[in-house]
Amino acid sequence: MTSALLTVRGVSRTFGSGPAAVHALSDVSFEVEPGTMVALVGRSGSGKTTLLNVIGGLDRPDSGTVTVDGLEVTGLDEDGLSQLRRDKVSYVFQTFGLIPVLSAAENVGVPLRLARAEPAERERRVGLLLDLVGLADHAQQRPGELSGGQQQRVAIARALAASPRLLVADEPTGQLDAETGLAVMGLLRGVVESEGVTAVVATHDPVMMALADRVIRISDGRVLT
Amino acid sequence: MIALHWPSVRGRARADAGPLLLVAVVVAVVALLAGATPPVLRATSDEATRDAVRRAADDAAVRVEADWPDDYGPTGGRQRAPLLAQDVASLGHLAQDDLSPELQAALQTPVTTVSSISMAVTDGSVQRRLQLEYLRRGDGGDPRVTWVAGKAPGPSTSDDSIEIPLNGAPWPIHVGVSEAEAAALGVRPGDRIPVQDDRRTPYDVRVSGIFRPVDPGDPAWRLVPWLLQPAANRDGLGSTRFGGLLSDESLPDARLAFRSDQLRRGVRFDADPDKLTWASAQNLADSVATLKGLSAVSAERDTSLKWATQLDSVLRDLRNQIATATPQASVLLLALLAGALLVVSLAADLLTRRRTTALATARQRGAALPALAAELAVESVAVTVPAAAIGLALAAVLTGSASLIWVLPFVVLAIAAGPAFGTLAAARATRDKRAPANRSARRWARRTVRLRRAAIDAAVVLLAVGALVALRQRGIETGLASAAPALGALAVSLLLVRLLPPATGAVLRLSLRSRRSLGLFAAARAAATSSRMLPALAVTTAIALASFAVTLQATTDRGLSDGAWQAVGADARLTVGLEASGSTADIATRVAAAPGVEAAVPARVVESERFIADSTSIVARLIVVDTAAFRRLLAGTPLPGLPAPAGLTAADGDTVPALVRTGDGSLRPGLDFRLPLQTNSAIQMAAIGVAPAIGTGEDVIVVDVAAAKAAGLDWEPDTVWATGSGAAAAIRATGADGRLVTRAEVAEDRRTAPLTEGLVRLYVIAAVTLLALGLLGFALAAAAGAPERWETLARLRTLGLRPRDTHRVAAGELLPVAVVAAVSGPLLGALLAWLTLGPLALNVLTGQVAVPVTVVPWWTVELVTVGALAAVLLAVVGGESVVRRKRRLGDVLRVSS
Ligand SMILES: Nc1ncnc2c1ncn2[C@@H]1O[C@H](COP(=O)(O)OP(=O)(O)O)[C@@H](O)[C@H]1O
Ligand SMILES: [Mg+2]
Repeated sequence: MTSALLTVRGVSRTFGSGPAAVHALSDVSFEVEPGTMVALVGRSGSGKTTLLNVIGGLDRPDSGTVTVDGLEVTGLDEDGLSQLRRDKVSYVFQTFGLIPVLSAAENVGVPLRLARAEPAERERRVGLLLDLVGLADHAQQRPGELSGGQQQRVAIARALAASPRLLVADEPTGQLDAETGLAVMGLLRGVVESEGVTAVVATHDPVMMALADRVIRISDGRVLT
Repeated sequence: MIALHWPSVRGRARADAGPLLLVAVVVAVVALLAGATPPVLRATSDEATRDAVRRAADDAAVRVEADWPDDYGPTGGRQRAPLLAQDVASLGHLAQDDLSPELQAALQTPVTTVSSISMAVTDGSVQRRLQLEYLRRGDGGDPRVTWVAGKAPGPSTSDDSIEIPLNGAPWPIHVGVSEAEAAALGVRPGDRIPVQDDRRTPYDVRVSGIFRPVDPGDPAWRLVPWLLQPAANRDGLGSTRFGGLLSDESLPDARLAFRSDQLRRGVRFDADPDKLTWASAQNLADSVATLKGLSAVSAERDTSLKWATQLDSVLRDLRNQIATATPQASVLLLALLAGALLVVSLAADLLTRRRTTALATARQRGAALPALAAELAVESVAVTVPAAAIGLALAAVLTGSASLIWVLPFVVLAIAAGPAFGTLAAARATRDKRAPANRSARRWARRTVRLRRAAIDAAVVLLAVGALVALRQRGIETGLASAAPALGALAVSLLLVRLLPPATGAVLRLSLRSRRSLGLFAAARAAATSSRMLPALAVTTAIALASFAVTLQATTDRGLSDGAWQAVGADARLTVGLEASGSTADIATRVAAAPGVEAAVPARVVESERFIADSTSIVARLIVVDTAAFRRLLAGTPLPGLPAPAGLTAADGDTVPALVRTGDGSLRPGLDFRLPLQTNSAIQMAAIGVAPAIGTGEDVIVVDVAAAKAAGLDWEPDTVWATGSGAAAAIRATGADGRLVTRAEVAEDRRTAPLTEGLVRLYVIAAVTLLALGLLGFALAAAAGAPERWETLARLRTLGLRPRDTHRVAAGELLPVAVVAAVSGPLLGALLAWLTLGPLALNVLTGQVAVPVTVVPWWTVELVTVGALAAVLLAVVGGESVVRRKRRLGDVLRVSS
């Protein structure tokens, strides 16, 4: 066996059937080494989101397997997937997805609560992460009171809270202006190094690719090597 | 001209067919109820009028009496009047001429009667009595008979105008006797029936013939049933009354044979209930009162007509009842409309939420707000108007007509809801949403919002308080007053709903401290949705008003049974005619000994006795009774007990102690008063205690029979009160003649009275509809929040929330609305009922003296409310999770982002 953290093998995903069928993914295979940051690049509609969903267990492929940290994601049931999301995989979305009535700190603490971490331990780690994303001064602010870039940084902190092995980010800078986007990307790059996670980041912005260890290009559901 | 974009209108309607259909159903149901209620109420009022007159029977009949003119002849004796029958007939015509046209239309053909006193038959038998009767119908005919033996009664003399001395021998009278009575009396044509009056003066009554009625069902016979069949107990227990039929020819002889005061002539008009409507009855009450006023003027002994009837008071009671029932119906209808309007608004809100993006896009593409509003209005009209038309058509089919009074304003508001919400949302979507940059401007904006909110709250609360005050001070007449319960429910719900955000915020803070993440997520969702007021407002208001209607129903139900207790005073009450009052005590003793009877007490009850206190006159019900026995009887009933102040049973010299109760407080314990007697003397009385309310009417004076006797008031009892399951049967078994009133019958009568029955039905319909509206509102609120809820749940799932735990978070989000509605709805409904029962005058329908005690069926209300809300909540949560399970998380998030 390889030492890859993420293995995608022969994954296909088709939406619909008959002449209207869309082959969002066709026989996609690749591996990602631990501690690397991979940029998933392709035009809109090329299959990035579908691929990330399959990797993170938010969607099931019609065929093929996905293995994360030695665990076959495609073979898990719903509870297994929930456990996977608590322990190994976390997500960052284009739309942040923070809980609006909770403060930044409380949002970051949510995965730790789900993992039943001790309150003291939780507070310590939340503080650390907010520091890491540069929002220590905004801990008590609610998402509505933060800028888009700040919100996404909270989301990244939250994604890191439970110390996942794999971070899946779907166009995390899509709603941010170029400058803020670059900063967020830089942050991601940084945490991959400091936290030792592996990241797969979908983007269609070529500028972002420079920050990645590796670029996987996807077009019409096929990986171009 | 506003350009409508028809494809958008069609597309939107197709996409949201479900919610639109729901609005249509609500509008149709409300239009049906609101459209049908006024005509039903009108028909019920008419039916109530007929029913009241039918039930009043004797009381509703209009009777006229007139004394005889003198018949002294030229030589100082009494002169026979051969044409007396014509004279009597003209009495009927005279009476008829006095009737107003509307009264004439409402009354049946009169029957004129001439009745003698009842005389003892002295044939050796016990207690046989004979009463002579002359009958003539107003249309000229008399109830026809065939003579099976002998002949019709003829004149006793060939000298038509003979004058007889005042103290001569008994003047012979010829009468006819029915077959049954002839057999019982053992008389044949030509026989004499030996009779004498209570002063032992004999009369010469001869049987001329034996008759058979051609139509025994002729209403005229019903006035004097003893003409056809011997009547038991009419003249006291064990007595049998027979009748002798007078003819035109023998009537003048009867006049000669009796003193003027021993032979009474009168005309009786029975009311014809079928010809009455509520509208016609209102004029009637006035004309009857006028008639009675006429006869009051000439109280002296003359031949003028003296009118007597309870028809006016029957109609006055009815007018009170209808005057009570009509606004009660309005109150319930307004409650229903308020609930429905809130739910329609919720539906509009749901639609708007589903369309926010589309509307914003349309705006961005250049659609003007007025055009958008017009498009939404077209849709709203297209949904609402046909639905209302269907509801109204159904109402018309079911009730014969439909009223627009309530439906029209409702439909206008319902039409406005959709466009209003939609246009507002479209305007908001394209307005610059960014919060102002500087801090003070932000604070200013927040304060403006808060001020506007406070202003709305204050306006609604003020309106509700105003309505309640108007209701409590001036009664139900004004329009605002009948909206009091609806506005009250709305105002209090609004205030409660304003408390939801701080409350859910507090729960959220608490759950942040707890280690249970599910509670935190649920609290977070609840806090996020608590700023939406409409759902909680609609559901709480609807449930509160449903509870209000249920409380009215339960209170009426209890009031009817309490009212029946009060009206009868026991399980059964027998009122014995004065002729038979000698046997009342005996009846009571026999009833008391019968099985199934707990107690039986004889009493003398004078309905309206006049007392004088401090030279003012008080009319009260006088009850002379063995107070100890009466107290025991009352103790076995839910009626208020009889106090036992010292000295109640013994007269203090000439002064009779009494328990008193007056509505205006003019008689109080410690006051002395007098009972004037006909003999220009008076009995001194001293109020030494408070009497309970006995029977209908506020003013009661209770005197102990021993104390009364000691003071020389030796009155025969005429009433028997009896308690126990066998009370009525026991009274019947004595065969006593008199008016038997049982509690069960009174309760049943009142329960089935058209107005009461109709109103109770309306209470129930309103309660059920409002509950359904509340539940529908809850479901709509859940549906409106669904997209947001699903997205949050999906996000939480990406953080590792297990699928089965999503139910609890979803339930937790919906819980605050359900809890507020289930807890405060019934409480609020009960409070509103309690506040408005007095002015709603429920007691007019329940027949109680005082405002009935508010009866809140807590268990039923809470069980139904909690059960129904829980069922909807579970259905929503369960249903959503089934649907969610079929969708991949990726899809949910893709759609929402
Ligand atoms: N639930 C779905 N049903 C039908 N087609 C879908 C669905 N999800 C994605 N697709 C289609 O699959 C293709 C890939 O989409 P997606 O993975 O979202 O691309 P990207 O994220 O690169 O923009 C697109 O053509 C899209 O229309
Ligand atoms: Mg995508």
